[in-house]
Amino acid sequence: MQDFDVVVIGGGTSGLRAAIAAKRAGATVALISKNHPLRSNSALAQGGINAPLGKDDSPEKFAEDTLAAGDGLCEHGVVQSLAQEAAGEVLWLERMGVPFNRDKDGRIDRRAFGSNSRSRSCYADDRTGHMVLTVLYEQLQRLAIPSFDEWFVTALALDGETCVGATALGLRAGKLEGFTARAVILATGGYTRTYAPSTVSVGTTGDGQSLAYRSGARLMDMEMVQFHPTVFPKGQGLLITEATLGGGAEIVNQQGAAIQVAKTAPRSALSLAIAQATQNSDGGAYLDLKPIGKETILSSFPQTHELVRSVAGLDSTKDLIPIRPIAHRPMGGIETSANGATSIAGLFAVGECAANGLNGAGRLAGNTLTESVVFGKKVGEAAAVYAKSAPKKIFPAAMLADEEKKLAALTSADSGQDSLAKVHAELGRLMSEKIGLLRDADGLQQALSGIKDLQSRHRQIKVRNPGKIYNYELTGHLELGSMLTLAEVIARSAQARTESRGAHQRRDFPATDNANWKCHTIAKLSQGSAQIDNKPLAN
Amino acid sequence: MQVTFKIYRKDPEKDGKPGRSNYTVEVPDGATVLESLFKIRDEMDSSLAFRCSCLRGHCGDCMVRINGSSRLTCTAKVSAYTQKGPEISLDPLRNVSVIKDLVYDWDAFMWNKIRTVKPWLDASDAPTNGESVIADARMKDLRKVMSCYQCGMCDEGCSVLPVDINFLGPAALTKAYRLVFDPRNQDARDRLKTAEGPKGIWDCVHCYEADEHCPRGIEPTKRIVALRDEAYRLGITNEKVARHHKSFTASVKESGWVDEGRLAVETEGLTNLPGLMKLLPTAAKAIVRGKAPLPYLHAKRPGAEQIKKIIEKGEAENK
Repeated sequence: MQDFDVVVIGGGTSGLRAAIAAKRAGATVALISKNHPLRSNSALAQGGINAPLGKDDSPEKFAEDTLAAGDGLCEHGVVQSLAQEAAGEVLWLERMGVPFNRDKDGRIDRRAFGSNSRSRSCYADDRTGHMVLTVLYEQLQRLAIPSFDEWFVTALALDGETCVGATALGLRAGKLEGFTARAVILATGGYTRTYAPSTVSVGTTGDGQSLAYRSGARLMDMEMVQFHPTVFPKGQGLLITEATLGGGAEIVNQQGAAIQVAKTAPRSALSLAIAQATQNSDGGAYLDLKPIGKETILSSFPQTHELVRSVAGLDSTKDLIPIRPIAHRPMGGIETSANGATSIAGLFAVGECAANGLNGAGRLAGNTLTESVVFGKKVGEAAAVYAKSAPKKIFPAAMLADEEKKLAALTSADSGQDSLAKVHAELGRLMSEKIGLLRDADGLQQALSGIKDLQSRHRQIKVRNPGKIYNYELTGHLELGSMLTLAEVIARSAQARTESRGAHQRRDFPATDNANWKCHTIAKLSQGSAQIDNKPLAN
Repeated sequence: MQVTFKIYRKDPEKDGKPGRSNYTVEVPDGATVLESLFKIRDEMDSSLAFRCSCLRGHCGDCMVRINGSSRLTCTAKVSAYTQKGPEISLDPLRNVSVIKDLVYDWDAFMWNKIRTVKPWLDASDAPTNGESVIADARMKDLRKVMSCYQCGMCDEGCSVLPVDINFLGPAALTKAYRLVFDPRNQDARDRLKTAEGPKGIWDCVHCYEADEHCPRGIEPTKRIVALRDEAYRLGITNEKVARHHKSFTASVKESGWVDEGRLAVETEGLTNLPGLMKLLPTAAKAIVRGKAPLPYLHAKRPGAEQIKKIIEKGEAENK
């Protein structure tokens, strides 16, 4: 049995920042990640990290833009806190070694990005997430924080109403082990793999939200799933950063003529505009990077150029790149306070995994990384403080054996004709079609019954591989289970919200209804199914 | 398109012996090797183990050998490997120990070696008013080096690792470069000492395979050469190869040509008695065969003064 003050689950930027902060606050800390931290989805963030560093900028203006993108559903206190602390965190990252692009005076350069009214996205070429992740991982090693890489968390351990750790499966040794903790921080990222296609990594399957929800925690605003406007849609989908639009790229039709959309609109509006502008034309929409100029493409967007070539087989300095809005990042997640406390004592959540009210109904471009470090630090420190005062809890004695039995029960040579991949593919299609950019009551009902059907098919599917070591069929089974659990919550939350706001657009309720719906949706597991309530904004 | 994948297999829970399984699958045009692997795992053999994460060339996790060459499966199109016939072989990298199938030991292969170079900046945690003011040209160089996504292709191509698995390798030494040449690092000298230690920069044979292999154009060999130059410049020359370089230069500078006797002695180190003793049989043989006529004298060659001037000019330029 491993024993720590704070156990952080998830090795992306939020988890790393939280682990570093908790350790600096004096706690013993361990990080558990189902893949190596440097392989996490944070590495895919490209465009930038927001901080109001410009002379023409201020925390107030930054807060205004964040609130506007959130379309009335943000918690003001949380937004203020992000706006106030963003600069300090970005400067900290700079000191720790992020190689930010510099302006002519040698200071951190900032660029236009999405619906930010000022140039406030600090960036490292088009690899900002990769660089921030790299530097945070360096600092994790500096503090000698033990990192359990390729350990898959199967359940949270509860002592009564309090979280006291987790069980995790070490993929390499094929062994299930218990981790005792006085505080557990979930930082497992989003749940966008419920959609297909999507912009995210293979492991972005909502494990943390699902673990928390099954343990009785409340989820918030789960219907809010942001679509990214400029994604090459073939194969696995390749996101092309909107920072290219800020740099002069155009959205055009097949003939190269500009499609009239407001390039600096919030993502939900831009995605809708692109979808609507192209729904009646066969050719669809394209991104034209040529106006940026070949030299700038190669120097400021080297990764975009490289991946457009290797993934799409196109030359970004010459060819038009087909684009379509595609599921990107959820705003919803585990309901938390600004300090990351969930509705379960001892359980914290942060980053894309959490919903603290920062993002409301839409996330401002460039805020994902800022959120992960500002709140990563805050939540790491809060968890360390909590751990100091928390009485030593007992890890439930029978839990490890129970979990082992549960996993063993999933395995059987006789698994029938159905398969995890088929169920996952159908789920992805259903989510994109019925709970995508535009939703309506009929579609949501179809989605829900489809999800119910897929859930029961999933329960019938067995893991055929009896092996213990690197059994990806087993972890895939658990991940799909998480996604199906959350899909139901997304569908029910989307059904409940009978209005249009931010990322949640209803054909049957096209107007924003502030009188009834300027509030969060809250989902709680009740008798095996999601019960949806409202929660008023704290503002 | 129907393609047969011939995949390296090893199951540590069975006999642990390497083998190969063949899977013939129908894959759509434009499919990647990774998508084919998913299909095989789902439809034919759920025990097949392989790694992947980002799915689109961002993270470096899915590196294997496709028809013998190291590639990321997520960006490798099947059609690029079937021109000679509908067969594709998939193997783990060469310089790794395999755990299961295409899953190999990244810790031993790379992560532990990177950890050896103390891969972090020792910066203060205290808040400051502003950022370090640094010209973008220096940051640009760091961004290039830090674009490394640890895919392992440089270590895979390395000529030294197959003969000395303990060599730190180009990936870890590229990390060292990032630490030594980051103007914000207070402990650059310490990091250079680490990289200069045993199995470090001097063990590179500058075959430039790492530069050929790196998919991001980071040129790890050039980074290693830059570390050597920096070590030399700062007088951090503790390793045998460094002494060899030093003695070589000194001898050519003084006499216009290499004094091989002196080179051998100084390379071993004047205080390294066991090393010097090892030279004795070679020296004796050389004397017997007339290669080192006694008394052993190393005369200046004609033009030595000019050669000295050239070396001095080079030294001045490097200061």
